[in-house]
Amino acid sequence: MSEQDQQQNQRRSSALTWVLLVGTFLVVLAGPTMVVLFFGLLPTFVAYIIDRSKGKSATFSVGSVNFIGVFPYIVQLWGGENTFNAALMITTDLVAMLVMYAASAFGWLIFLALPTLISSFVVIMQQRKVAQLRGEQKELIEEWGPHVADLVEQQRAVEQEHHMEHAFKKPA
Amino acid sequence: MAEALEQAVETVEPDTTTQPLSTEEAGVLPPEPEQTNAPAEAGNNDQHPPAALKGRYLIFPAMSLPELNSPTAPAFTVEDRKEPARNLFALVCSPVVPTATQTMFKIRNASISGLMPLIDFGSVFWSPSGQKCMVIIFERPMGGRFLDSFGKNPAHISEYEVGAKFVDQLIPALKRLEGMGLVHRAVRLENLYFMDEEQQELVFGECVSSPPGHDQPIVYESLERAMAMRSGRGTGTIEDDLYALGILLVFLLISKNPVQKLSDDEIIAGKSQEGSYQFLCSKERVPLQLIEVIRGLLADDPEERWTLESIGRWIEGQKPHITQRKSIVKARGPFEFMGREYYSPRIVAHVLSQNVSDAVKVVKKGTLEGWLRKSLEMSDLAEAISGLITFCKVHEGKPEASDDVFISKVCMLLDPQAPIRFKGFSFTPSGFGTAYAAEYLRKGSFQIQGEIIARDLFGYWASIQTSSNAETSEMLKTFNTLRSFAKLNEMGYGMERCLYELNRKLPCQGELLVHEFVDEIDDLLPTLDRISDETDKNARPIDKHIAAFIATHFNHDIQPHLKALCSPVENSSLIGLLSLYALVQWRQAHENLFGLSSWIGGLLQPAIGTYHSRTTQHAIEQEIPSLVRQGSLPDLFDLIDNADRRNSDALAFKQAQFNFSTTEAEIQSIVGEDVDQDQVALEAGEKATAMFAVVSAMIATTIIIFVMMM
Repeated sequence: MSEQDQQQNQRRSSALTWVLLVGTFLVVLAGPTMVVLFFGLLPTFVAYIIDRSKGKSATFSVGSVNFIGVFPYIVQLWGGENTFNAALMITTDLVAMLVMYAASAFGWLIFLALPTLISSFVVIMQQRKVAQLRGEQKELIEEWGPHVADLVEQQRAVEQEHHMEHAFKKPA
Repeated sequence: MAEALEQAVETVEPDTTTQPLSTEEAGVLPPEPEQTNAPAEAGNNDQHPPAALKGRYLIFPAMSLPELNSPTAPAFTVEDRKEPARNLFALVCSPVVPTATQTMFKIRNASISGLMPLIDFGSVFWSPSGQKCMVIIFERPMGGRFLDSFGKNPAHISEYEVGAKFVDQLIPALKRLEGMGLVHRAVRLENLYFMDEEQQELVFGECVSSPPGHDQPIVYESLERAMAMRSGRGTGTIEDDLYALGILLVFLLISKNPVQKLSDDEIIAGKSQEGSYQFLCSKERVPLQLIEVIRGLLADDPEERWTLESIGRWIEGQKPHITQRKSIVKARGPFEFMGREYYSPRIVAHVLSQNVSDAVKVVKKGTLEGWLRKSLEMSDLAEAISGLITFCKVHEGKPEASDDVFISKVCMLLDPQAPIRFKGFSFTPSGFGTAYAAEYLRKGSFQIQGEIIARDLFGYWASIQTSSNAETSEMLKTFNTLRSFAKLNEMGYGMERCLYELNRKLPCQGELLVHEFVDEIDDLLPTLDRISDETDKNARPIDKHIAAFIATHFNHDIQPHLKALCSPVENSSLIGLLSLYALVQWRQAHENLFGLSSWIGGLLQPAIGTYHSRTTQHAIEQEIPSLVRQGSLPDLFDLIDNADRRNSDALAFKQAQFNFSTTEAEIQSIVGEDVDQDQVALEAGEKATAMFAVVSAMIATTIIIFVMMM
């Protein structure tokens, strides 16, 4: 095991310790709420586990909508009898659980549909930006001649040289 | 025009020999009509209109005066517009023979008694040859040529006429010329004229249409100068004029040329082995009372030769000063070379120089060394030659040890007073300039001259002179300067620069100007301006000759301009050309050179291209026509190479490069090779979705709280 992996494991175990500490603290302070949250946000925990996207976007998407489904029942708990029995009543209520899990399913739906739409829009925007930048470059060439690109060519040459050097060094 | 020049070149006699004119011409009989290499005479007036010099003198190509021809310059009738009654004639000089322009400046309107008056000179367009030529206007000798006055009889004067009627009239001219720091160097029978119709006023003819001594038959030249080629005989001194005068008197007194039938080599051999007087007069009856005069004038050693004072004393009737003559060095035994026997080192040097391949064998075999030791007891000289042989063995195969260089040095050792002889090119040190020019004008090549400079033959000659004088040191300095010029084969230097440094009055030989007779820096740009309409405007108005001509004649520092002109980069070279001509125009205060400005303006596209900004380039292009219309090269230069404009262009270009680079970096961040655009877009979409969900959750939570609270 490399030193880097060891450090990562240490960081994980330290985070887990903190989560357990804070969790225990919250269970002691607001136990019923934590019970509802635990069962209501189970799809979010699952999403967290299976989410491989950068920045855990799926978790945030699913979690946020899932929370919308859970939150009314927590408010109900806070507004009424805030006990473990009341919490268990909610968690055993099929309609309540259906609302919570349907919300998380809607979260998944949003996460699966919206990024594709947005990315298409982003691609179009990027293409427009590149076209605009290329236009600016063309204007520079028209005004200053092809030598205006010399600096870029030099940079490319230097980069290429670095690549070559790197490629030669790698096997060693 | 080029054909005319070629024709002129072809008609010129070869100069690598020492034969100026046939010995027949050098005799006392009236000369045959002389062949000149000057521009051809015209057939009629309509075809060749008169040429006007300075708007005053009209020279008529159709009205030749063969009786007044000079060997290289035919004579033509002249009309003076201001004084039509004046009797004048013009000599039209050959474009392939350098003229003695410095002398012309000094004797113009100088009124020298005993010399044909030179009225004016200058260049005119000579239509028969289709180019500009130097024309010299003289007062016409109404009594004709002295020789013609004898008709078909041999020319003769008695011993009683020599002093009063002959020498008395001519000596003042030589005296005056000497006073002016000049020499005549064309003292010969054919060059004597009567200025008056009564044939009483005898004068020397012209001495300026060719280099000093160029037209002299070999017999009139002292031994040292006779051995040089015609154009390389050197300026000479009054002693040379007096020697020629002595020869002239001998011919007149004995009514013939006693060596008329001998070849030039035989004359040189005779003079060097017997001495001039002995060689010419030993079999002739020279009047007793003139023997000492003739002996004095024909003394081969210039120090023993009679001077003007000696002649003056003789004319006044005083007893002539008799000097002790040095005996001629003569060997006890002969030196055999190519089947002939020689007794004097001087003539041995002469024959060796004429047969280099045979000479090398003989000298390297040690035959010459042995002869010098045994027959002349000159062991020092033999040692020096032995040293040369060793030097050649050590440096075998190198140019400085070539056969020609070796024999040239051997000849210098054998006869240090003789001309420097190399590959048939022979010259006295003071005659190198004219020989250099004449050889170039004839052959269009610097080959031999270049070798002479590169091998430092003059340096060797100076090192073996027994007496070093200021003139030799000055010449050595000049030759060293020439060597430094010759080494640089660039615009403004090279052999062309040497040509103009040595011949400051030589017209520019640049391809564009060769027919225009530009001998003053003042005339250069106006002439280029004038010919611009007839010239290919894609060619540059400069070449190595023009650059060298400017470098020689322009008295300002043009080093940076020449450096730019030589640049291999076209635009730098063009800017160098423009800056050079702009400087010349500004310094010489030439106004309105429309043609030249247009010519150069048309060539400037690559120079304009040195500006990066297309807007600036376009602005300059728009501005050029208006500056061309002003005819100002300095303004054109300021437009093309304005420092402020160039700096701001350079700065703005750097900024543009930076902007381009930044833009490129931005583009690469979007669509670079390392970037998966779809993945990036998808990630952006996922992030946006997450953000959207979080914000929605926050809003929903808030609404829920409000609803529950209500």
